[in-house]
Amino acid sequence: MHKLLRPLIPCAIVLALATIGAVSQTVQRRPGELVWAIHYDPKTFDPAKVDDQASELVRYLTGGVLLRLNHATQQPEPQLAESYRISPQGTLVEFKLRAGLRFSDGSALTSSDVAWSLRRVLAPATQSVVADEFISAGKITVDTPDPLTVRMHLPQRVVAVAKVFDEIAIEPANRPSEGRITSGPFTVSEYKRGQYLRLVRNPNYWRRDGAGAHLPYVAGLRLDILNNREQEIAQFQRGEYDLVDGLSPEYFALLAEKTPGAIHDLGASLNTEQMWFNQSPSAPLPEYEKAWFRNRGFRVAVAQAIHRADLARIAYDGHATPAFGLVSPANKMWHNDALKYPHESASDAARLLAASGFHPSGNKLFDSAGHAVKFSILTNAGNSARQKMATMIQQDLAAIGMQVTIVPLDFPALIERLMHAQDYEACLLGTSNAEIDPSSMMNMWLSSSPNHQWNPSEKIPATDWEAEIDRQMLLQASSPRESDRKAAMDRVQQIVADQQPFIYLVYPNTLRAISPRLRGVHESVLSAALVSYIDSVRREEMKQ
Amino acid sequence: MKVRISFVLLLLLLASAALTLRFMPFDYASQDRTATMAAASAEHPAGTDALGRDRVVRVSAALLIGIGGAVGAAGITTMIAAAFGLLAAFSPAPAAALLLFVSDAFLSVPWLFLLMIARSLLPLTASPLATAVTTFLVLAFLGWPAFGRAVYGGTRSMLSAEWMIQGRATGLRDGQLIRLHLLPHLSSFLVPQFLICVPAFIVAEANLGALGLGVGEPMPSWGGMLLELENSAMIARSHWVYLPIALLVVVLLILESFTTEVKSHA
Repeated sequence: MHKLLRPLIPCAIVLALATIGAVSQTVQRRPGELVWAIHYDPKTFDPAKVDDQASELVRYLTGGVLLRLNHATQQPEPQLAESYRISPQGTLVEFKLRAGLRFSDGSALTSSDVAWSLRRVLAPATQSVVADEFISAGKITVDTPDPLTVRMHLPQRVVAVAKVFDEIAIEPANRPSEGRITSGPFTVSEYKRGQYLRLVRNPNYWRRDGAGAHLPYVAGLRLDILNNREQEIAQFQRGEYDLVDGLSPEYFALLAEKTPGAIHDLGASLNTEQMWFNQSPSAPLPEYEKAWFRNRGFRVAVAQAIHRADLARIAYDGHATPAFGLVSPANKMWHNDALKYPHESASDAARLLAASGFHPSGNKLFDSAGHAVKFSILTNAGNSARQKMATMIQQDLAAIGMQVTIVPLDFPALIERLMHAQDYEACLLGTSNAEIDPSSMMNMWLSSSPNHQWNPSEKIPATDWEAEIDRQMLLQASSPRESDRKAAMDRVQQIVADQQPFIYLVYPNTLRAISPRLRGVHESVLSAALVSYIDSVRREEMKQ
Repeated sequence: MKVRISFVLLLLLLASAALTLRFMPFDYASQDRTATMAAASAEHPAGTDALGRDRVVRVSAALLIGIGGAVGAAGITTMIAAAFGLLAAFSPAPAAALLLFVSDAFLSVPWLFLLMIARSLLPLTASPLATAVTTFLVLAFLGWPAFGRAVYGGTRSMLSAEWMIQGRATGLRDGQLIRLHLLPHLSSFLVPQFLICVPAFIVAEANLGALGLGVGEPMPSWGGMLLELENSAMIARSHWVYLPIALLVVVLLILESFTTEVKSHA
């Protein structure tokens, strides 16, 4: 064998083993079963302890809930609860359960099961992430005046409290079963770590269709654990998977050619891609660089010099929408339609830089002390869209004399620099927004938060505009009137557009591939929308 | 004959790459955002990449950077190995044992880990050229230990050769012995080792680039361009994405033919 080919032998062996592994993992699809892939193993099947995406999906598919967020209307709707009411002061939430509810094992579901499930989520020992949304979880009491009524007494009003019940699965009292006994459409049947998770239909699920037939229609679901997009696409093309969620733009074009009709671009998602400069006073950066990054003119000039339409068209193959604000237009309820933002113009950017104390010399830009404007942008390695955007921004900023280097880092190294060492100049990353309510963004916008990326954990707001964002965010989180909340959130969006602490780049579109055999799929840009109507989805079998 | 053909081929490749960079109206970083993933045309003979950069220009630059960097790194490695082997061979036994222990310790260090450390020590604003130079320098400083041990072994066996004894008898000092006798004899060993290192370093840089640890954007490198091949959707859009790997294989085969030829004459 040629000597230069010898190093390839181990690669070939690894590839062969991987192929054998993949083949050995192939599991037969059961009749009436839907199959797709999730990228990681769920950390837990206990619905009260969910804190990762895969576990959340399993809770969504198995857990019966009192109220469910309707992704079309973006309003909570009764599920196990037939009705609910919130007192005018917002301190009492009362649910009336449907009569005749049963768990998947046939046992009756009553108010005592609901009270037990709520208390378990609220108990500090459970360490449930959902409990944090009630603000003072420890002071909440739950009582059950009769088998069909549950009352929750809150010490203070919790804004948008109804949506929190979408995340609390009702389990049989004193019998936590990790998804084996459920009140939702499916129950956990079989789990092989790193291979697949099988859910089967709950025969006692409460919902029926218009003709009185029991839902869900499908016999079960198989979720393969597969973190390989190439394999996932190949399986979808072979008809072995029924859907691919979070499709990347390159594969969208590929599937558009091979399986037209199966792919869907639902438009801008709730997610954002943005870059920001490190404004932390403790960052190990030269003082003159910190001064650039704290200079509003500098940040706005950068925002003006970036051609977002090109980013959307090239880095995302047209499957993204240029972004100018923190709330995506997909979030119709909270997006500020009257937002004023800096327009794109390299010449205006150059003028603004000149007015902010910078001057060009040749094709380079210098600050008033003669330092060349030179900085790096970190992004995570392996995300081709972000790396393409960074390379394009590099060229856009070169047009106004800024010298930019791009540093792709693996995620742990990137997080270490961002969250601990704060040893970076600028960063390009994205934010996944699963929820529409801005209360879920509090940890990102309050200046005291460790996730306040451009200047984390401020003891007091470093600037007046950050203090104003704090005030408006707290106002939207506590105001009982929706109109006041919306006004506060509009104000936050305008401050962010004026100050550009985050320079928003694009809203990636929601891209999905769904088998043409599926019927009853409701489409929405919200991440959970695809599975939220899972009980009414049917799969047509091939005719022989 | 075969080696001459290979040599001419290599010269032609390098000359074409240099002429391409000299006369094409684009540089390797120029983005034509109206012509991304463009098909081959008179303007872009091998089309453009996902950012509208001319493939021929980028492949030409990668060829020159890859071969230039690898030749430089192989030269440094050869010099370090020769210096190390000679120093150890002329040292007293305990010092030689210590030096050999150092080289063994170097051999046991995972080079990828070392390279990652070296890259992390670079300032974030290091230019793409600095990252390219660092990558090849690290490869050079990591490539010598096995080679140095071989030089040591070869030198030791030559120390008792009759021509060495005669040299000593005529009063030559160690430095003169090395320059006048040992190095000419060792050249038949050093030259093939140098030629082996060149393709090895090209492949190593390509591997590092494919892992995102090599030369920084927008400077092109084999590894950076091979990354396009990890995505089947990109492959389906243009067959020109195979150009870098095809050229890499051709270059490696040419370099391999040199090594074979030199070894057959050794």
